[in-house]
Amino acid sequence: MENDMGLIVKTMARATIPLIGIFGAYVVSHGHLTPGGGFQGGATIAGAGILFLVAFGLNEAKKRYDKNLYSALEGLGGLAFLGAAMLGLSVAFFYNILWRDKIAFAGQPGTLLSAGFLPIMNLAVGLKVFTGLVSAMMAIALFRRWKK
Amino acid sequence: MGFIVAFIWSFVLWLVLTAGTKGMLWSPQEIVAGVVFSAIVAYATRNIIGEKTARFLNPIRWVEFAIYCLGPLFWGMVKANFDVAYRVITGKIRPGIVRVPVDLENDAQYTILSNSITLTPGTLTIDACPEEKALYVHWIYVKEEEPKSSEPVSGSFEKWARRLGR
Repeated sequence: MENDMGLIVKTMARATIPLIGIFGAYVVSHGHLTPGGGFQGGATIAGAGILFLVAFGLNEAKKRYDKNLYSALEGLGGLAFLGAAMLGLSVAFFYNILWRDKIAFAGQPGTLLSAGFLPIMNLAVGLKVFTGLVSAMMAIALFRRWKK
Repeated sequence: MGFIVAFIWSFVLWLVLTAGTKGMLWSPQEIVAGVVFSAIVAYATRNIIGEKTARFLNPIRWVEFAIYCLGPLFWGMVKANFDVAYRVITGKIRPGIVRVPVDLENDAQYTILSNSITLTPGTLTIDACPEEKALYVHWIYVKEEEPKSSEPVSGSFEKWARRLGR
C-alpha cells in the first residue's frame, strides 16, 4: 500500500527535518533565557517526527520507530526531572542547590550555563514530551484500519 | 556521509539562531552546546537527509544559490506578482492544467524547479512525475496548451534548476 507523499514533499522533508530538530533543541536548551522551554521545544521536535510520518508514509516510519527505545527514553526524561528536583533534598524538595551553592550551571544570569537545575529540567521535559508525543502519534497511526 | 551533511546543516542553523551571545559573535559555551545538539540531531537524521547530499557542501553551489535567489528568482517573482495584479483587476484569465516536459535527473532538481514555478504566481505545480519526466502545472492564463519545453511556463528556471541540483 502506497501511503507516502510525492517527490517534492519528500525532498523538502529531508531538508526541513534536521532544521525542525535543531530549532526544537534550541528552544529547549534556551528555556531559561528565551520564550519556550521543555514542552514547547519537545512539541516542536515531535512535529519533525509527524512530518516524517506524513511525508514518508507509515511503512517507512514503522522501520525507524523502536517502541522500547522511545518508552525507555520517556521514562528517562521523567526520572531526570525528578532527580534534578531531589538534588537539594537536604533543604527542601525542588531546592535549587546547583544555583545557591554555585556547584554547576551557576554562570552569569543570561548566559547558557546559568539558572541551576532549570536547563536540566528543560532537557528532561523536552525529551519526555518528544518521545511521548511521537509514541502516541505512532500508536494512533498504527491503529488497525478504517475498513472492516 | 549523511551524518556529516546533517551535522553541518544543523550546526549552521544553530549558529544563525544563537548569533549575538558575545557581542556580535558566539560565546564558547553556545558553540559547545551547538556541537553537542547538532551531533544528536545529525545522528538521528543521518539516514533521512538523503544520498549524495554532500554535493550541496560545495561553496560554489552556495554562491550559485545566492545569485539565483537574488537575481532570476526575485525578478521573476516581482514580474509575476504585477502580472497577477493586472489579471485580478481586468479579469482576463484562462485557467488550465498543462503537462510540462522537463529534462531533469534527480529529486533536488525537480524540487527546485517545482518550488520556483509555485513561487512565481500565476503558475502552480500540482505534481512532479519523474518517471514520465514531466511536471503538471496549473496556469492562470494558458498561452500554450501543450508546451514542448518548460520555456513558456517558467522561463530560464529549468536551466538554473539543472545547474543547482546536479
